Amino acid sequence: MYRYDEFDHKFVAERSAEFRDQVRRRLAGHLTEAEFKPLRLMNGLYLQLHAYMLRIAIPYGTLSSRQMRQLAMIAEKWDRGYGHFTTRQNIQFNWPKLKDVPDIIDALAEVEMHAIQTSGNCIRNTTSDPYSAVAAEEIEDPRLTAELIRQWSSLHPEFTFLGRKFKIAVTGSAEDRTALKLHDIGIQIVERSGEVGYRVLVGGGMGRTPMIAKELRGFLPREDLLPYLEAALRVYNLHGRRDNKYKARIKILVHELGIDTYRDQVEAEFATMDRAAVSAPSEEVERIRAYFMPPVLAERPSVSPFIDQMKSASPDFARWLDRNTFAHKVQGYVAATVSLKPIGGAPGDATAEQMRAIADIAESFSRDEMRVTHEQNIVLPHVAIEDLYKVYSGLAAIGLDAPNKGLVTDIIACPGLDYCALATARSIPVAQRIAERFADTSRQAEIGPLQIKISGCINACGHHHVGHIGILGLDKAGVESYQITLGGDATESAALGARTGPGFGYDEVPQVIETVIDTYLSLREHPRETFLQAFRRVGMEPFKDALYASA
Amino acid sequence: MLLLDRTGEIDDLWPMAGDELPSSGRAFVPFSRLGEAMTCELELGVEIPNTLDLSELQPHLGRLAMISVDFPGFADGRGFSIGRKLRALGFLGRLRAAGPVISDQFTYLLQCGYDEVALPDHIVERQPINDWLAQLSLVTTGYQRGIAGRGSILDQRRDCSGQQ
Amino acid sequence: MAKQFKPSIVTANDLVEGTAVFLGSEGWSGDISNAMIALTPEQAEEFEALGQRHVKNNEVVEPYLISVSLDSGAPVPLLRREQIRAAGAPTFAYGQAA
Repeated sequence: MYRYDEFDHKFVAERSAEFRDQVRRRLAGHLTEAEFKPLRLMNGLYLQLHAYMLRIAIPYGTLSSRQMRQLAMIAEKWDRGYGHFTTRQNIQFNWPKLKDVPDIIDALAEVEMHAIQTSGNCIRNTTSDPYSAVAAEEIEDPRLTAELIRQWSSLHPEFTFLGRKFKIAVTGSAEDRTALKLHDIGIQIVERSGEVGYRVLVGGGMGRTPMIAKELRGFLPREDLLPYLEAALRVYNLHGRRDNKYKARIKILVHELGIDTYRDQVEAEFATMDRAAVSAPSEEVERIRAYFMPPVLAERPSVSPFIDQMKSASPDFARWLDRNTFAHKVQGYVAATVSLKPIGGAPGDATAEQMRAIADIAESFSRDEMRVTHEQNIVLPHVAIEDLYKVYSGLAAIGLDAPNKGLVTDIIACPGLDYCALATARSIPVAQRIAERFADTSRQAEIGPLQIKISGCINACGHHHVGHIGILGLDKAGVESYQITLGGDATESAALGARTGPGFGYDEVPQVIETVIDTYLSLREHPRETFLQAFRRVGMEPFKDALYASA
Repeated sequence: MLLLDRTGEIDDLWPMAGDELPSSGRAFVPFSRLGEAMTCELELGVEIPNTLDLSELQPHLGRLAMISVDFPGFADGRGFSIGRKLRALGFLGRLRAAGPVISDQFTYLLQCGYDEVALPDHIVERQPINDWLAQLSLVTTGYQRGIAGRGSILDQRRDCSGQQ
Repeated sequence: MAKQFKPSIVTANDLVEGTAVFLGSEGWSGDISNAMIALTPEQAEEFEALGQRHVKNNEVVEPYLISVSLDSGAPVPLLRREQIRAAGAPTFAYGQAA
């Protein structure tokens, strides 16, 4: 894992002092709310329905046990004993007081964390693959690149007052687990005749005008990464629209200019700039690389008689093993997913007690490391197969043993109208009702891979556009109304879902989802044909008929 | 209006020219009058909007002693890129940010190549000059390379490890 | 056609605490039953202007008017969003209680 050196420590200490001063000046009236708002947002602080909300960055989703325990401490000391893991590998606390936030930021700095640029019109937390250093097909650990970008993008003097937020994701694998094509810039590590470099995508995004990213550069030599990003951001900063908040993302600029014109402008900027003055020195790249050397894992037998025995003894464990583990590049290990989607729970929420328990498990069985996924779960990346029953039992003790990774109850949901000032409808209770309806684990297994994603407003924090089943909550004349989309996909085969038709009432949603799923089950060609495959084969009509025929 | 740089309040040496351009000395004109002003033997300053295509200004950079970039609102960050671009294009004169920017942006402005800030009175009322100067000691470090007025953490690291 | 005026109250978020507060005759309160109820558009305008003055004093953030029903005796917001704000908590059990 990356560790702060004296310079990183000084950097976050200065930021913390600066924010403390900003709060002081806000309370003294030097700053109006209009002036303070972008500054607090740049430090992750929102004002929501009930309270302030502090969003803390978990860079590229990687957490140590010490950091997780500190988050638990913060939850108990300054919040209400829990936190919410988000779709962008952040954690949110829902109840801090403005006067306490500088202290919280100091507590984060103690464990090499911060809340810098988790909101606001600036470059946000750079996200990455939760299976970094795990997936066998990975070309290189993407976190090396993500850390370079984290540093470069932190309080970049030129790019902290952009037209709109800017999100970057990095993956080292062709199989995408970062929603790469839904980012302002997506960076895929690729190999060309033995040289490792980057494929750069631009202009993806969700929100009210969802778009799939387009290719900006097929191959970028690695030393050009930061100058190229600087050129791409400069063109956006100068030419992106500022007349309309909803047209200010880079996706609109790329769409209006056309990818070729945007590319020409970026390449022209890149060609004239002093690239050597901007790019990271190779010593720095190597220094960071050393932190991301894969852990030394001695190969172990890929079969464990003990685990096999426990599998036979406990069908629940067998199901969890089947669903919540992912093959590791080192024989005898897996990455195990801690589902933060217990039936009836709020997706992505974890109590302080649960955070500590997960931290303990990670310390004992996963090389002291955890990953936050954009599906709002936690991954234990390096678990020996032999230890899986202990891990499972530990998770069962805190109620986080749901064997549902990637299944119908593994629902992504934004905080929605229960917390969020922007929301137009509730999301979490909708997720809870759907999960309760499909609580039976054998039924979930029978349905197979199915991602439901729920957003409580058009801003699409719940990624509904790319849910196999997407649910968008809107306000229709004071009443919550939910639009359903089908066929979305967040992976390398990214696709935007298509609307079924008119929306449904709050109470109708679980039955609507059941109808969609029953329709799928009745028309799939064989049990291994997934919902998404079946939808792509048959199209919208059968689902539409089932949903609206009786009306 | 208050004009300040990293030393504090400074005198404005560039009053905007009236209908008739002075016969000698300095003239500060909006971009629309640049052509007219260029014909005189004057030390020239120009005021530009943050939407200007800099290729229109580029041929005249050697002739300009001062450029004032309009910041219509503090959240409109185009001027930060304009500052860096003007410096990258080789502009060596005085660079001014003019508009309701806030003290929290002071170091960013300096780092993007600006020398001075021209503030409207309503900002100065709430954000006294001490807030601006305090910002200089609040923000002293940063990662990016190729930034004016400060080194980069990346280079400092390299220098440190080189010494060992 | 002019929209029919509905009884209204002024709400905002407390600057320091962040909580939803309502403008009453004794100042801001977290309890909606303490809110001053505007029964005419003129009163609503007056209360809103009063709320704006407290913004200048750095007490609250972004005050605005919401419509309420008085059927139960105490003001109840008409919009679900405002009902949730007035309740001061999500509509489901959260944290340790979940």
